[in-house]
Amino acid sequence: MTKQRQQRLFILTFLGPPLALYALFVLLPAVNAFRYSLLRWDGLGAPEWVGLGNFRKLLSGSSDFLSAIGHNLFLTFVPGVLILVLALFFAYMVHQRIWGARLFRVAFFFPNVISSVAIALLWVLIYSTTDVGLLNNLLKALGQKEPIAFTESSRLLWAIVPMSVWTATGFFMVLFLAAMENIPETYYEAAKLDGATSGRQFWHITLPLMWDVLTIGIIFLVVGGLKFFDAIWVMENGRPSPATHTMSTLMYSKVFEQYDVGHGTAIAVLLFLLVLAATLVSLRLLRRERIEY
Amino acid sequence: MKRFVWVPVLILLLSPGCSLQQEQPGAGIVLEVAVFEGGYGIEWHKSVARRYEQQHPGIRINLWGDPRVDEKLKPRILRRSPPDLTSCTLPVWKLIVAGKLYPLDEALDSRAYGQDITWRQSLVPGILDDFRYGGKTYAVPSNQGAWVCWYDARQFRRHGWKPPRTWREFTALSEQVKAAGVAPLAFQGKYPTYAWATLLSLYQRLVPLERWYAMQDLQPGAFTDPDFIQAARLLQEMATRYYQPGALAMTHTESQMEWVNGRAAMVFCGLWLKNEMKNAIPAGFEMACFPVPIVEGGKGNPRAVYSWGAETFFVFADAKHPKEAADFLKFMLSLSSAHDYVQRLDTLSPVKDCVKGVRISPELQSAVDVLDQRSCLFSDRLADLYLEFSRTALQQSLADLMSGKMTPEAFGARLEAAIEDVRRNPEIYKPPARGVPTP
Repeated sequence: MTKQRQQRLFILTFLGPPLALYALFVLLPAVNAFRYSLLRWDGLGAPEWVGLGNFRKLLSGSSDFLSAIGHNLFLTFVPGVLILVLALFFAYMVHQRIWGARLFRVAFFFPNVISSVAIALLWVLIYSTTDVGLLNNLLKALGQKEPIAFTESSRLLWAIVPMSVWTATGFFMVLFLAAMENIPETYYEAAKLDGATSGRQFWHITLPLMWDVLTIGIIFLVVGGLKFFDAIWVMENGRPSPATHTMSTLMYSKVFEQYDVGHGTAIAVLLFLLVLAATLVSLRLLRRERIEY
Repeated sequence: MKRFVWVPVLILLLSPGCSLQQEQPGAGIVLEVAVFEGGYGIEWHKSVARRYEQQHPGIRINLWGDPRVDEKLKPRILRRSPPDLTSCTLPVWKLIVAGKLYPLDEALDSRAYGQDITWRQSLVPGILDDFRYGGKTYAVPSNQGAWVCWYDARQFRRHGWKPPRTWREFTALSEQVKAAGVAPLAFQGKYPTYAWATLLSLYQRLVPLERWYAMQDLQPGAFTDPDFIQAARLLQEMATRYYQPGALAMTHTESQMEWVNGRAAMVFCGLWLKNEMKNAIPAGFEMACFPVPIVEGGKGNPRAVYSWGAETFFVFADAKHPKEAADFLKFMLSLSSAHDYVQRLDTLSPVKDCVKGVRISPELQSAVDVLDQRSCLFSDRLADLYLEFSRTALQQSLADLMSGKMTPEAFGARLEAAIEDVRRNPEIYKPPARGVPTP
């Protein structure tokens, strides 16, 4: 056996099993999902070919899918804008070495070390209408007579906004801070000599030089918003209603609760296409000439 | 270098999926029984299995439980290698219609264990009606549920409150409770469908059973019937006036804790409530219940009780030993097993006379008293049959009705539209009309 063949065999020996497992547990189910989306199947009996029927039904007005997209867009843009603004603000403040900057960095990042389910449970307790509800107790102390049902289905999406902002701001702050720390100090020194205010320095130096990272941040937020699942699932106790369903919870509900595998996987396919499209559009819209420094 | 080639092969061979180990032959029949491990656990089922093995030396029962038994069973159903017998929350009607279940009639018409009647005759009449398809019976419940309103008799005594019999008495009581600074009703608001059984009970109080069952049989206009709208109005008034503030955002355990802690006086729930809250019930708490009050001027049977078969068992058509599995199920639902079930789990069995001669808790006695005074039982099948209806339109509409965002008329119209979708959808199986079951 030649040395080259031996090397190939060696590589194949170690690369083969993980590739085979990846194909078996990731690629094959993904391809199957496309196939299932063209079937009418309850996951128990014999499947029946319906072509694009599942997609037609999803995109018709009678389905909850369109309202679920609306909820995803809400959860992408409302918390997303707040997260971006706050993360940039805090990152800039920490970058300016304000007093206690290191403490703020750790404190803001802290929610990221907690699992998303634990965070949702924590906020369920904050919003609780029972005696343990932190927010309702605070409102009671301020004179509110009856507790407010923040996590009632009709209010839940708004209730998730502060939770998302609290959870995600720290991560994006650290991301943006790392980008800001990489900008050479000499630019700021030159700007100061020219009399640029802090605001103008941020607008004309910081923002353009961290644009790539900001783009990545926006894509993270868009993809995260479109795939939103866990907080809704936990705060609705596994029973989201049409008033709170996102695409992911609706997909889960269709497949595992309504035994409608065809519709569920059709949602998965549409979700995949939407995430892909949103990522490409975001990249395209945010594309700028790269500034080398 | 060559020896590395065998590393992955060895790993694959040693992995559980590639196990070459097979079941030992010559051990007689081994029945596999998979049980949903919920509030009632599986210890009672295991004890029944051990007794059955003693009486049937050639049979060994491999009984296991899991709260997520459904997830484990689905791939096995598709592979056509299911366990012999199971109790799970998979939609039984989908399995029946897909031809996945084994008919139990032969066993049901054979002699019951320890009694001189057939197994079918030993069960509460009507309990099998919801599992009949094409003239055959495909499932048997192992538990009998009832929908009642629970209260703490000690709290009622302390305040001089009396369990109500009519709706007017119920609202008067709720006002009294409110005046005493206690919320009249706890409600499991995160699951709006907890109100479905109460609503259907109120509708039953208003109309003769023929009309109530017409709704179950998808008769057009049933949800816009003025009496159904009236029932919805009563539910809405109850929710907006007497539910504990914030109840619509509470989970079942949160709201039931409020009741157990005395901050709410009553709660509508099934018989599982005691088991669910057993670790939280304080000493001296006296659980008791009354049926959904009758409505003044209503034409419904005042002694009908909302009661249904739960914890349903069935045998798979692809089971290795379907006859033996059906026989074990018969043994599980024999009178002696039922006595043991009632005593150990503090709940009811669908076997007739399951509480006769058995010492039961005061809480269960209270529910038995409700059932003893009944003239007939009724239960819903729309929620189980039409999952798209129950998991979307019904859930959301009930939430909107109870929060006051939707009028009773709009509520009825929305449900009528949703059920019309079910009626028109040829993909959804609809069983034949069942009419009023014979007692």
